[in-house]
Amino acid sequence: MAIKTKLNFWERLYFPEIFRGIAITSRHFFRNLSNPFKNPVTIRYPDQKRFIHPRWRGRHRLMERNDGSPRCVACMCCATVCPARCITIMPGEHPDPAIMKYPISFDIDMTRCIFCGYCVEACPVDAIRMDSGIVSVVDYSRDSLQFQKEVLLKTS
Amino acid sequence: MADLTKELHTQCMTLQMGPSHPAMHGTVKLLVDVDGEEIHIVKPEVGYLHRGFEKMCENSTYHQVTPFTDRLNYVSPFINNVGYALAVEKLLGIDVPERCKYLRVLACEISRITDHLTCLGASGMELAAFTVLLYSIEAREWMWELVEALCGARLTTTWTRIGGVAYDMPEGFEQKTHQELDKVKRLIDDISGLLVKNRIFYDRMRDTGVLTADECLAYGVTGPCLRAAGVYYDVRKAKPYLVYDRMDFEVPLGKHGDNYDKFMVRVIEMQQSIRIIEQVLDQIPDGPISVDDPKITLPPKEKVYTSIEALVHHFNIIIKGIRPPKGEVYVAVEGGNGELGFYVVSDGSDKPWKCRCRGPCFPIVQAIPKMLEGSMIADVIPTFGMVNMIGGEMDR
Amino acid sequence: MAEGIILAVKIAIAVLFVLNLAGLLTWAERRQSAFMQDRLGPNRANVFGVTLIGLLHPVADGIKMMMKEDFVPAGADRIVHTLAPFIALFPAFVAFAVIPFGDRLPIFGYEVNLVVSEINVGLLFVVAVMSLAIFGVFLGGWASNNKWSLLGALRSAAQMISYEVTLGLTIIGVLMVYQSLRLDEIVRAQGDLLFGFIPKWGIVTQPLGFLLFFAAAMAETKRTPFDLPEGESEIVAGYFLEYSGMKWGMFFMGEFAEIVVIAGVVTSLFLGGWQIPWVSTAALLSVFPGWLVALIQIGVFSVKVVILCWLQLTVRWTLPRFRYDQLMRLGWKMLLPISLANIFVTGAVILLIQHFKGV
Repeated sequence: MAIKTKLNFWERLYFPEIFRGIAITSRHFFRNLSNPFKNPVTIRYPDQKRFIHPRWRGRHRLMERNDGSPRCVACMCCATVCPARCITIMPGEHPDPAIMKYPISFDIDMTRCIFCGYCVEACPVDAIRMDSGIVSVVDYSRDSLQFQKEVLLKTS
Repeated sequence: MADLTKELHTQCMTLQMGPSHPAMHGTVKLLVDVDGEEIHIVKPEVGYLHRGFEKMCENSTYHQVTPFTDRLNYVSPFINNVGYALAVEKLLGIDVPERCKYLRVLACEISRITDHLTCLGASGMELAAFTVLLYSIEAREWMWELVEALCGARLTTTWTRIGGVAYDMPEGFEQKTHQELDKVKRLIDDISGLLVKNRIFYDRMRDTGVLTADECLAYGVTGPCLRAAGVYYDVRKAKPYLVYDRMDFEVPLGKHGDNYDKFMVRVIEMQQSIRIIEQVLDQIPDGPISVDDPKITLPPKEKVYTSIEALVHHFNIIIKGIRPPKGEVYVAVEGGNGELGFYVVSDGSDKPWKCRCRGPCFPIVQAIPKMLEGSMIADVIPTFGMVNMIGGEMDR
Repeated sequence: MAEGIILAVKIAIAVLFVLNLAGLLTWAERRQSAFMQDRLGPNRANVFGVTLIGLLHPVADGIKMMMKEDFVPAGADRIVHTLAPFIALFPAFVAFAVIPFGDRLPIFGYEVNLVVSEINVGLLFVVAVMSLAIFGVFLGGWASNNKWSLLGALRSAAQMISYEVTLGLTIIGVLMVYQSLRLDEIVRAQGDLLFGFIPKWGIVTQPLGFLLFFAAAMAETKRTPFDLPEGESEIVAGYFLEYSGMKWGMFFMGEFAEIVVIAGVVTSLFLGGWQIPWVSTAALLSVFPGWLVALIQIGVFSVKVVILCWLQLTVRWTLPRFRYDQLMRLGWKMLLPISLANIFVTGAVILLIQHFKGV
């Protein structure tokens, strides 16, 4: 399909096309002016939150068992599959013989995380999820972005 | 009185355009020698965004490379995902299910629209038509709503898996797509209404940044820049992958190879992409979204939780990874800016021995001196805008 | 004594008019462009939670600019660098001195002509003063010791000189029609009716002149589509690249003040100034007291000025920018011949009219 483009005399006169452009922008202007709180697409962010889709990969959280201990069995799947190598797990023997292992510590380095969601996909026991809906992971220091097990468990 | 003119000497002034210059989106530096407003020599300096993509791939499993490909062309991440997945699948010698193919085409075309919208908006803004930028950003936002609904992120999609895709379409996605596409169509009309026939814009774009068909081929330029020069080459048509051979769409061709043609090619390609998306939604069959091969794809979660066999496969894939047979493949897809190729070499281990990415931007940036020398400073802006250099893809 | 007070009041009105409208325009531009682009625009600045639909932003901007570091780059010419913003700012205010915002009215027993300065060469004065603004821009760009600024200064010099020619020539058409250089006389003449029912506004008698003058005047304000000296995507910020704080603010204010002045001049020349169509001052005076008539006329004038400002902002946010050589081509090869033709046609028509009227 060839593109046909050549300005005709009328279009070469500048003004007709300028008026057309003004008509387009003015249409937007008056439409937004007619209902200034509804028509513009701006979301007033801190006051007004955007709809976050259910699949959104947000901040991680660790799931709990019924007794409040982490569901994680320290199988190291997530730590292995993580492309950014940001998960560090220290496994330990669980006092309950029915459960083989549990994480003594479970750290996620949020400064390295790339939010690919592989850890969630890799978990065989549904212990880690990214459905917290927390979009912004921000803090004042790197240290406070090293999330420990307790922080991750409390996130919901 | 002394003769002052004797003291005067003239020389070209060297301007450092970039790496932080308003028009150098992405980080690149153009060393421009100017005589007044006229450009004598242009030297592009690349590498400011080099992150060692290829080296990282060599140290990651096949699975782990996918998130890195998001960051290649960060305005059309789906296309990179798909390109890489197709390359590894070819290496493995597998064919993905029908539904997955349609989904991938859908995602690719959404990405193409976002890519072109970014390009048009950014170059519009650099020509001082700021309103155009915000219309295209608005349209892009609608597309990103779809991307987010589909894969859970707006930019770092990581959506394809080797042998399939991560998620199917969510509920109500088709209807939502139709709605958003209507909005996008209207905004594209507004954008072209503001620019296409406007003589100021026309004069700025016409006959600037010309790259003839021969020069394009000599430099290895592909994509909208090549098609603007009138060469009928679109990977989707030339070597149809996925289900593009079943889609009814046209490839816009320019004549002069100047910025205006590149602009028009992109505008029409967006409209064609919308057509493709609508066809995909009409035709998409039901079925699985990944190949059913426990050596390649992770088993479904419900099975992992309940059956020991699936759990073992799950562990095997995650700990041992996918091990394609020895060999090498090259697969090209039509990226936003041209042919995006992945050249993957396997030595039989779980990590690619080499994963080379043929980004379309690098050859085009190479051709920038050809396009610019002899023109004016102001021509750098539309030319560079229409080159649509994406730092992540060029420097890798 | 009374004369002095009246003059002081008139100066105050003129200066406050320009200053306030320019300040408001910074807000209007951001709000208007936002609405044109489906955004909301500035609405965050507040005092105890009262945002006044963003009207506090110009105030906040002012405070911010006062507080900022006043930066002079190494190797810059300090004196010229400091002087330039002042030179750029003042012509806009001075030019407003000859723009009438009301008729000669009896107010509280005094005969007051609502224009700051009744000089006979009013129109020439406007053109002369406006052309001084180029010095500020040019010196600022040159003194900054920056390549981009230098390019911006060169562009601005070429552009403003070229467009002044058109500006001057289009005015001649108006002069021929109204036979006066005094702006207040020109406005008064526009109160007449053409063929008994059309107001004899400049836009009716000189439609082409209006378009040409408006285009050339917009080029003088250095805003899109004529913002080549600034060209933020090409030459970064052009002539005021190395300015910060209030010095930059003065360039900024100068730009907006120029918009107001251009709107004022165009209103006076082509849109009948303070005239209300089909309602003469005498008719107004027979109904209302003099001070109220003055307020009405200032109001009418302001409305026209605001509409023209709105138009300028709309154009600015709609169009892309010219290229240097295309701008020159437009100025010298299109606007200049057309304005010359305009003068010729106007002269011919006037001669014909005189011939038939037997003057």
